[in-house]
Amino acid sequence: MSLLVQGLARLLLAPILMVAFAVLVKGYADVGDGFAAGAIASLAILLQYIAFGREQTERTLAIRLLPAAAFVGLLSALAIAAAPLASGDPLLTHRPGAGTEPIHLGTLELIGAFAFDIAVFLLVLGATLGIIHAIAREAERVEGIEPR
Amino acid sequence: MSPAIPLLLPWAAAAALALADGQRRLVGWLAAAALASTFALLCVLAGEVFTEGPRQIVAGDWAPGVGIVLRADALGALFAALSVGVLLAAFVHELLKGGQGRLFPALVLFLCTGLVGLFLTGDVFNFYVFFELTMIASYILAAYGGQGRELRAGFVFAVVNLLGSFLFLLGVAAVYHVTGTLEMQAVAARIRDAEPSAVVLIAVFFFVAFGVKLGLFPFHFWLPPVYASARPGVAAMLSGAVANVGSYGLLRFGADILPAELRLGAGVLLVLGTASILYGALQAVSRRSVSEVLAYSAIGQAGYVLIALGIGGTVGLAAAVIYTIVNSLNKTLLFLAIDLRGWLVGAAFVVGAFSVAGVPPTAGFFGKLALFQAGIDEGSVALVALIFVGGALSFVYMFQIYQHDFWRPDASGTPPAERGPRSSLALRAPTFAVAAIVVALGVLPEPLLVAGREAAQALGAIAS
Amino acid sequence: MTLIPALAVGVLFGCGAFLLLKPDLFRIVAGIVLVAHAANIALISSGLERGQSPIHPLAEGPVSDPLVQALTITALVIGFAVTALLLCLAYGIYVSSKTVDLDDLSHAEARDERELEREEVSV
Repeated sequence: MSLLVQGLARLLLAPILMVAFAVLVKGYADVGDGFAAGAIASLAILLQYIAFGREQTERTLAIRLLPAAAFVGLLSALAIAAAPLASGDPLLTHRPGAGTEPIHLGTLELIGAFAFDIAVFLLVLGATLGIIHAIAREAERVEGIEPR
Repeated sequence: MSPAIPLLLPWAAAAALALADGQRRLVGWLAAAALASTFALLCVLAGEVFTEGPRQIVAGDWAPGVGIVLRADALGALFAALSVGVLLAAFVHELLKGGQGRLFPALVLFLCTGLVGLFLTGDVFNFYVFFELTMIASYILAAYGGQGRELRAGFVFAVVNLLGSFLFLLGVAAVYHVTGTLEMQAVAARIRDAEPSAVVLIAVFFFVAFGVKLGLFPFHFWLPPVYASARPGVAAMLSGAVANVGSYGLLRFGADILPAELRLGAGVLLVLGTASILYGALQAVSRRSVSEVLAYSAIGQAGYVLIALGIGGTVGLAAAVIYTIVNSLNKTLLFLAIDLRGWLVGAAFVVGAFSVAGVPPTAGFFGKLALFQAGIDEGSVALVALIFVGGALSFVYMFQIYQHDFWRPDASGTPPAERGPRSSLALRAPTFAVAAIVVALGVLPEPLLVAGREAAQALGAIAS
Repeated sequence: MTLIPALAVGVLFGCGAFLLLKPDLFRIVAGIVLVAHAANIALISSGLERGQSPIHPLAEGPVSDPLVQALTITALVIGFAVTALLLCLAYGIYVSSKTVDLDDLSHAEARDERELEREEVSV
């Protein structure tokens, strides 16, 4: 891939991940979502795949375990959904309840919806990276390059 | 018991087991244990619903019109228990046979989650979400062999059913625009005041979407390649559990939410049902490959359900429910039986064959009997004659398969008993269990008939 | 104002249907994607209301419908997953059959059927 694309990809990785995190964090009160954040973050990593190729990206970015993080995200989402069942409330009841003041981290509120969004972010990121990894590895196998 | 528990259990098990290697025996048996516990929970739930009435929870503790409603009534609980039971039998069969991939147990658990979710939900869009989950899991399962033939069949399966889902989504959008709500009971109440031509269009969208799923006559063309090239356990899952989605959808969206349109379209349903029965039976008689014959038989059996729906009323709807249960058990039994060799496997196949043809003492006899009663109530000689002719044709093609697989030597002269390795007794156990259930229901049909009646009345109660 | 979304749905579905009828696997996948997006626009247009943002309305007056937007993003995510699956299937067919042309694939299918018939026909 040309030097221009590689340079831009290297420069843009951190800003795109920052945008993804911003979209994730403001999701409960403004336009934003765990899914959108996951899609943006996986686009950043896809850019690295296209610019640098599969092995170099996986070496520098330590992506080995991220596809498994998809199922970890799914399990956490299910746990968050099922947690209210322990105290008798129906599925997905929001914690903290209506009218109570949540824990603040600066201006960020730590609430159930935010935790759910993080779980969805992990799920989407892991799933997309799993797909990209599988297609990249298959393409290399077909073209005769040895997968490492 | 809350309807949420049989939904969360297979979902969490699927996510956890997807992280492990599905080719190891421990993982497979853990998945089977999760399926068995889900089945047990659903049987308990069905028992509670049949004795005490429907159960409902609203996610997020909102009011029913605002939050998503999970509702277990007689029809939903019955179908859920039936489908998960079929999945359990087919999965144990595949597990004992060995040779699956890394993700096979997790995929079957995701399929179970999707099925339980869509049978136990009371919200139209939530139904769409679980419907897509079920279908995605079944697209992957159908293509799981990995070679050209399975992949092509999986691709055709996916493309055709995605078009059906597209129509379903248009129907959901139309329902929301016309009634302003997504909760099934509120939709049923408000849609009576909506403009009739719009509601007819919505009914057509839903009918085509579920017709594609069930394999009815004009929308059947994806079915034979998919059922014929899938491995036998997966074919049993597709025909015994996923096809129930089509019947359930027609019953729920037709008889429950849009009963006036169901009565309006009764003529069309009868014609299409007749075409399905005749087309499926005639094609099945002329095919040579066993799984193709069973696939065309599935198309034919779907026609019977449609005729029962066309007849309508409590009798017709009860007949539709009974016939769906019987058909699901038959197809599971047949697809699993043709994969086995050994002592008494021919007998299990004969039980399935008699049940499809409607011969006592099998459950199929009572399925056909319920249809006969509905036809006689309707006063139509043509329908009764059609059911007779369909039964006779199914007897012919079942006998052909029996001859070919279990009786005559094949083209190179080997007798049937020596055509492959004998299956172990454990491998034959799920098939024998399903055969025993079919015979038991044929001898003591009371639970089947009560289930059908209760489920049909659950529909009538909401629509009136 | 429902004319424009209706036209958009129609144009998208028409292009999608045209692509679906082409004899090439990846054109079929592209057709499915366009058809799915037509359904998404139909979903949004089922709740069209000109109003404030539903999360934090800054003034008095009508608020746009948040349920339809939630439905649409769910349908988009499902469409994304299904597209990924279809692409993987199409790529798998390409790798195993070395072709994406539907005519060649149907010849391969007919060859498979003939072999099956030869195996299964009994005396």
